[in-house]
Amino acid sequence: MKNIIQKCKEIYIKNKIIIVVLAAIITLVLPVLVPKSYFMGIMCRILMYATLAGSLNVINGYSGQMCIGQAGFFCIGAYCEAILATRFGINFWIIIPLAGLVTAIVGLGISLPTLKMKGIYLSIVTLGFSEIVRLTALNWESVTGGPMGIKGIPTPNLFGFEISNSKTYYFIFLAIAILFIFVTKRVVKSRIGRAWLAIREDQLAAKSLGVEVPKYKAFNFMYGAFWAGVVGAVYAPYVRFIDSTFFTLDEGFNILSMVIIGGQGTLVGPVCGSVIVNLLTEVLRPIGEWRMVAYAILIIVMMWWRPQGLVGASDSILAGDKGNGKKLEKSKQKGGGAHGVSVRS
Amino acid sequence: MGSLLEAKGICKYFGGLKAVEDVSMHINKGDVFGIIGPNGAGKTTFFNICSGIYTPTKGEILLNGDKISHLKSEQIAQRGMARTFQNIQLFKYMTVLENVKIGFHIHTKTKLWDSVLHTKTFKEDEEFTVQKGLEIIDKVGLSKYTDTMAGNLAYGIQRKVEIARALALDPQILLLDEPAAGMNPQETQELMEFIKILNADGYTIAVIEHDMKFVMNSCNRILVLNFGQKICEGTPDDVKSNQQVQEAYFGKGIIAGEAVK
Amino acid sequence: MEYLFNQIINGLCQGSIYALMAVGYSVVVGVVGMVTFTHGEVIMIGAFAAFYIFQAFGNNLLLGLIASFSASWLIGMFVYKVCYERFFNAPRHISLICTIGVSMLIKNLAQIIFGPNQKPMLNVIENKFFALGTIQISLVQVIIIITVVVLAILLSLFINKTRWGISLRAVSQDKSASYLMGINVKRTAMIGNCVGCGFGGVAGMLLAIYYQTLSATMGSSLGMKAFSSSVLGGLTDIRCSALGGLCIGIIENLGITITSASFRDVFAFGFLILILIIKPEGFASKKGVRP
Repeated sequence: MKNIIQKCKEIYIKNKIIIVVLAAIITLVLPVLVPKSYFMGIMCRILMYATLAGSLNVINGYSGQMCIGQAGFFCIGAYCEAILATRFGINFWIIIPLAGLVTAIVGLGISLPTLKMKGIYLSIVTLGFSEIVRLTALNWESVTGGPMGIKGIPTPNLFGFEISNSKTYYFIFLAIAILFIFVTKRVVKSRIGRAWLAIREDQLAAKSLGVEVPKYKAFNFMYGAFWAGVVGAVYAPYVRFIDSTFFTLDEGFNILSMVIIGGQGTLVGPVCGSVIVNLLTEVLRPIGEWRMVAYAILIIVMMWWRPQGLVGASDSILAGDKGNGKKLEKSKQKGGGAHGVSVRS
Repeated sequence: MGSLLEAKGICKYFGGLKAVEDVSMHINKGDVFGIIGPNGAGKTTFFNICSGIYTPTKGEILLNGDKISHLKSEQIAQRGMARTFQNIQLFKYMTVLENVKIGFHIHTKTKLWDSVLHTKTFKEDEEFTVQKGLEIIDKVGLSKYTDTMAGNLAYGIQRKVEIARALALDPQILLLDEPAAGMNPQETQELMEFIKILNADGYTIAVIEHDMKFVMNSCNRILVLNFGQKICEGTPDDVKSNQQVQEAYFGKGIIAGEAVK
Repeated sequence: MEYLFNQIINGLCQGSIYALMAVGYSVVVGVVGMVTFTHGEVIMIGAFAAFYIFQAFGNNLLLGLIASFSASWLIGMFVYKVCYERFFNAPRHISLICTIGVSMLIKNLAQIIFGPNQKPMLNVIENKFFALGTIQISLVQVIIIITVVVLAILLSLFINKTRWGISLRAVSQDKSASYLMGINVKRTAMIGNCVGCGFGGVAGMLLAIYYQTLSATMGSSLGMKAFSSSVLGGLTDIRCSALGGLCIGIIENLGITITSASFRDVFAFGFLILILIIKPEGFASKKGVRP
């Protein structure tokens, strides 16, 4: 497995330009080649979840915080767009960054009080947060329409060109996904990304090197939340109708499983995860209710076989001692390293 | 020759355990300052207080005359204090160069926009970190390990990487917690010389060490702790001739007295 | 005022069931040393086991209790084998995600096997009311509280007096030291996990009797409540967890007197987050025991 990935990497590095150009041509021509709206719908889902999973990966994979409630951020973004567009008639293109910002601020609100919590407590808080958001959306009828949801979300316009079907929406999702990957790649390769990685690998050492751990953790959370909000804002007019049933815990687990299956800590991982899970969903559609069972088994198998995911960062603390061939005695003694390191001698 | 780091009546209690009690000391600029003491004497706890990992129960720490004992460890690091750890805390899954690069965190100022748009600040920062990082790695003598994963290196070399990473902060004072532990005599010797070079370069160094030869040869002033209390502070000769130090290390009585002679 | 008192009684009864779930959760977390997401599903399985036993053999509470305990025990063994045994030395998030996977697996299998709809629970206990002045207590509530108290006493006897209990406590404090003392750590951890799950299962049965319904999806919010209660009690401290369960039950029931019943879960989760933020170590004052 490792060899295959290694080879793929080598081929990519050698023919970088050709591959990128080829990929660009394929993605642009795809709607013309296969104009079926069923197929385009799947492509939209894949791209949407790739970005969502990517945004979760920024939180889970790069700074090592354990967020599970990404569906909550997604929900806030979607409701933000739905409410602003139906009530105030604000332009779609203005709402996108606005929804992202609102979600980022909520993310900050979640992150600030939870900075000192270790992995599992943080994940529980985010889980509870996601449920609270959903229940609020379900019960706050005057704003969110309660169980009736929000209907008739207007479709966006681009230069007088109405974007209404999945074929045109494909390009919006594509643009968002590419923008996300481009920006995130640059951020991760910079000083900020290094600080995140340092926090993931060893918080104590990061602190001793002057990395402002709380600040970067909070910023990381905001960054992840921002993109989830953006995707939510694009998603709302795509489905034209939203209610709280779109944003259950299962949705959160769904996003999480894409990150896990694809691999944490790399940019390609969530994209892979999204492709695999969404294609699997389509393939497994005939077996209906067994689909989620198949998912679950896939997640468990993944944890047993490759805890860092298919193309995850195998050289990281995320992989544990199974991922890296050599067992590092010290990390084993401490039961994983980053958590609960004692500093007393 | 003002005092760079000063501790005034530091106490640290863990519940009923008095890990450090009423320790005062000062480190002058340009010193190589040794802290010794038997196991459990509170040396590392004292270091952790200095670097802000613990807040002292009582007393205060002054760096350049400013009180730092209420600050967080990252703020203290930003004020020019770097440290290494007794049980090495490297980023094990990163290469040596990446490890050192993180050390430059406080000397770079790339913002989100800089990194997204690749502005001038970003380019300068990246150039600076890589260039300086390689320089430091070269200085420590790890050039051939630049791209090796830190966790795969030998113990002694990992310690050097940790020192290199701390040097990237360009600190006023460098705290080394048992830097020679796990090293063979040859490596220890090299480390001793390296510390002398660093000192000559203008770094002030505080070091916890068990190896007496190491401490006596490389330090110009020494603090001795026992059961959390300071029993002596002074030059190596002072410490050697101090009655209490001898008792702490060898015990009291005739045989111990013989042993000292 | 009357209404308020009745709500407190309701809260106490519900809280005692939560306490039972939380105690089970604490045992699991204490012994295994890892947090789990499967507890809700374990509770659900317990409820269904009792339901089918009642259907087959009539309303025998003791039989139902044994059935739910043993069904959850078996699920506990499965969870242990899949999620924990391999991952004692791995980073924690791996086993955490594994428990999420298992939870999804059990929940969806249960939906397929038991059907996705809510089922009405059989009327196991007579619908009788006692009046204490103006306050009414139903027979169901009395029996539930008695069951919980008896089980709690049994558990504390088991943990404090038996040989197994002592090795359980040893394992929960230090795995490698107990290993060196000749304790079969893996087996002990499994038994601890199963005992905790069994308690969860019994709590599931009691809940189903109390609410008169059960469904395959009831687990997720119950699991969260078990977790909340046990966090409130310091996660591994059994007595404090029970107290935490009582607290959450009462707060929920008082909370819905102020607003509508649909906000029930918001109160539970909001309270949990509040507790985690204000006092992350919960009621238990011991530090450094949290996993």
